[in-house]
Amino acid sequence: MSRAEASRSSCLHWVLYLLPLPVLVLSLLVGPSETLTARDAASWLAANTLGLAPAADVNDRLARTILLDVRLPRVLLTFLIGGALAAAGTGLQALFRNPLVCPYLLGLSSGGAFGAALALTTPWLPLQPAAFLFGLTAVGLSYLLARTHRRVSTISLVLSGVIVSGMFTSLLTILQFLTDPFKLQTIVHWTMGNLHNASWAKVRSSAPLILFSCAWLFLLRWRMNVLALGDEETRSVGLNPEREKLLVLLPATLAASASVAVAGVISLVGLVVPHMVRMLIGPDNTRSMPAAFALGGAFLLLVDNCSRSLTSFELPVGVFTTLLGGPFFVYLLKRARIGWEI
Amino acid sequence: MGDLGTAVRVEHVVFRYGAHLVLDDVSLEIPRGKLSVLLGRNGSGKSTLLRVMAGIADCGKGRVEYFGEDGRRMTSRRRAGVVGYLPQQHRAVFPFSVEDVVLTGRASSVMLLPREADRRMAREAMERVGMLHLARRPYTELSGGEQQLVMIARVLAQEPRIILLDEPTSHLDFINQARLLRLLQSLVASDLTVVAVLHDPNLAFLYGDHFIFLKDGRTRTAGEGRSAWDLHFLESLYDIKLVSIPFRERAFVFPAMR
Repeated sequence: MSRAEASRSSCLHWVLYLLPLPVLVLSLLVGPSETLTARDAASWLAANTLGLAPAADVNDRLARTILLDVRLPRVLLTFLIGGALAAAGTGLQALFRNPLVCPYLLGLSSGGAFGAALALTTPWLPLQPAAFLFGLTAVGLSYLLARTHRRVSTISLVLSGVIVSGMFTSLLTILQFLTDPFKLQTIVHWTMGNLHNASWAKVRSSAPLILFSCAWLFLLRWRMNVLALGDEETRSVGLNPEREKLLVLLPATLAASASVAVAGVISLVGLVVPHMVRMLIGPDNTRSMPAAFALGGAFLLLVDNCSRSLTSFELPVGVFTTLLGGPFFVYLLKRARIGWEI
Repeated sequence: MGDLGTAVRVEHVVFRYGAHLVLDDVSLEIPRGKLSVLLGRNGSGKSTLLRVMAGIADCGKGRVEYFGEDGRRMTSRRRAGVVGYLPQQHRAVFPFSVEDVVLTGRASSVMLLPREADRRMAREAMERVGMLHLARRPYTELSGGEQQLVMIARVLAQEPRIILLDEPTSHLDFINQARLLRLLQSLVASDLTVVAVLHDPNLAFLYGDHFIFLKDGRTRTAGEGRSAWDLHFLESLYDIKLVSIPFRERAFVFPAMR
């Protein structure tokens, strides 16, 4: 790499780190409200953050309610979830030594969906904790099933993930089959990913766990470089690959499960964003881990802005991420260099 | 007394893979500051023996010592500071730069992030194998020979006193094989102990200082008064009729034509 290339790449990763700021502000301006236009919102924000004179025709109380109580929690929650899914995906791709891995591989999403459906059909079971715990349970089951002779091979982990995913999907189907149509609709909505009922309560209940696990992943980011070279290569430099894998799997699962619990199954962010980052600034996890968090958050915000503003009714964000991420994923699959490598 | 000259001592190692006995009571000594070569047919237990010496495979009821220190009493991080091990053919997935790959050799002394000293050692290791000019290149874009040198630099960055290499010359062409073995000789000259598994007895005899022969999980020796490249001994080792061509004080061997 030449000096010019090196400086371009270091410039690029700063762009990625700083990208969330303008996107966060932009996202506050977007919304379906007809009484508060984007111009009004911008003027209110400028008045309250930069000390400029407010525009006379902006209703202060309305703007405050819409911006601070409706849009801000949603924007923050969306950013955190996008960042968490992308950071978890980056960690798991290093762990599995495979660029096509996503946080839902080990049954997290189907476990979470089953937990949510169980809570929606059982009056005394709270939704968010149930989805969170069943997501964790599914990953824990996959891990335990894959463990033989105190070692966990990547291929058996993938296979047990498929089995556990399938089991929880079947259980979910049974619930959906038995429940009444109204609840069925709620379950289906939940599994499509939803950010429209974001609230400060949801931010408060999920942010600490998400930030904690992302900080954990951030601290381990160089070890992921070691792990990504392979088990034997990790062992030969004095680290225990089984222990290192668990150390990455735990925070990745916590982050992704906390996200799923609060916003349902938002697919492909955890798969596509780490890959985009790697194409932009290279595979070194010391840089791509923070960049994935920033880009993941910005990416999901932009997608959510589309889902909030493109149609008069709100489409579930999971639909959008799949529609946008799907073709990109196919493009990645068609590129010859990417494939299974155990 | 003899311990001063012995880098690795293996005692009564038995290794089973399922019902299959891979190593059947193997004991041997690796002399310090020499290039030792492990020879034997496929499946004779060479790789397993190397992994046992690296402390990666279990040595069963046996014992592995490094400079007189019991391997089982060492933590894996500390062992990594004494023994470096290069597994057979590394398959890369992510296009890490050469420098990033070599830097992972420092893992045993890095807590969270590598420091400047670690980067310096990685650069020195790349320099030593003549790969410094490729430091920024993606590992995945290098030729097989260059990749092998990078992985050796990774082992050197670990700064061990003993280096174990599993078939370092496989996938290398004629010239690169010679270059690599000369590099190993230069490492030995700087008081490193090198043990390499090689397929080709002729390469081994050209470059090696000390030879270990394995057959069916047991070490074999040529016997009293016979040299290591004694034709009958090698024929019994490889189970094939050989012809030998004398060369200096040693000999080249080839499978006999029909």
